[in-house]
Amino acid sequence: MTLKLEDLLFQLNQATTDEGTTFDAVMTAEEGVLEVSCSNNEEFPIHIAQTDTQLLTITPLFHISEVSDGRVAELNALCLALSPAVPLSAVGLQGDTYILFGAMPLDSSVEHLLHELEVQAENTLEVLEIVEPLLA
Amino acid sequence: MGILRDIFTALKGGVNEAGEAVVDANAVRILEQEIREADTAIVKAKQSLTTLKATEIKMKREIQSLERDLADYEAKAVQALNQGREDLATEVAERIAEIETDLSERVAEHSRLAEEVNAINDMIRKRAKTIQKNKRELEKVKTIKQLQKTTSSISSNFAATGSSEHRVSDALARVKAKQQNWRDNMQAGEWMDKQESDGSLDSKLKDAGIGDTGSSTASVLERLKAKQAGS
Repeated sequence: MTLKLEDLLFQLNQATTDEGTTFDAVMTAEEGVLEVSCSNNEEFPIHIAQTDTQLLTITPLFHISEVSDGRVAELNALCLALSPAVPLSAVGLQGDTYILFGAMPLDSSVEHLLHELEVQAENTLEVLEIVEPLLA
Repeated sequence: MGILRDIFTALKGGVNEAGEAVVDANAVRILEQEIREADTAIVKAKQSLTTLKATEIKMKREIQSLERDLADYEAKAVQALNQGREDLATEVAERIAEIETDLSERVAEHSRLAEEVNAINDMIRKRAKTIQKNKRELEKVKTIKQLQKTTSSISSNFAATGSSEHRVSDALARVKAKQQNWRDNMQAGEWMDKQESDGSLDSKLKDAGIGDTGSSTASVLERLKAKQAGS
C-alpha cells in the first residue's frame, strides 16, 4: 500500500496508539507537507513530506540563533554523539535549523508510521532536555 | 560523481536560493533527460531484440533442416556405393559439399546473431542501471527540496512565536507541566475509582448491619442515661 498524504491526514486524525497518543494533523501552506501534533508532545509538531520513495518525518528543534553564544561547536559535537543513540530518528541540520528526522519507505503501514511519530515526539523531548543547557 | 556534492558545494557558496536554482536548472534536468533517453533506448532495444529473436528462431529451423538433408544424402551416397553406382555417389557427394558450405555459413551467421542478442541484453542492463542510479540521485535532490520546504514553513513558525529567549526551555516546561497534569489526573482518577468502590462496600456492609451502623436517637439517649447514672 502506498500512503497518500490526504489519506494519511484523515487516518492520523482518527488514530489512537496503544499508548493512548492521539494526533492532530493539518496540511501546511507548503504544498505536500503535513504538520502533525502528537498528544504526547504538542509543543514540537512533526512535519511529514513525501518523495518518490520515502516519507520524511521532520521535527524542527531550534534555530542556530537560539544557541548560546560561542557554544555551537559544543552543541554540534553533542548532537553528533547523540544521534546514533536516538531510536528511529536522527538529529540533523537543515539550513540554519536543527531538526530531528526519520525516513520510512512509502509502502509502510499506517501503524508503523504512527509508532514512528509517537517515538519521534518522545525523542524530541529527550534530545531537547539534553541540549537545553546549551541554548539561550 | 554524486549529486549531493554539487548541491552542498552550491549551498556552501552561501546563497541558499542560488544553490537551489543551480540544482534545479541543471542537475535535475540532466538526470531526468538521461532517464528518459535510457527509457527510450530500452524500448527500442527490446523491439530489435524481438526481431532478432525471430530471425534466430527461423535460422535455427533452417540449420536443422540442412542437417537433416545432410544425413539423408549421406545415407543415400552410402547406398549408391553399396550398389556399385560410383557415378551417382559422386553426384550426391557434390550435393553434400554444397549443403555443408551452406550449413557452415548459416551456423556462423547464427552465432553472430547470438552475440548481437547478448550485446543488446547487456546494453539494456546498463541502461536500466543508469535509470536506477539517476532515480536515486533525483531522490536525494527531492529529499533536500522537501526538507527545505518543511523548514521554510518552520522558520516562519519560529518568527511567529518571536523566537524569543528560552523558547525551547519554556516549551519543554509546558510539555512537562502537561504531562505532570496528565499524571495527576490519572492519579486522581484512580483515587476516585478506589473511593467509589470502597464507598459501595461500606454501604453494602451497613445495609447488612455489619460494622458502623450509625447513631440512632435510642443509642444516644442510652449513652446520656449511662453518663447521668455514673455522675
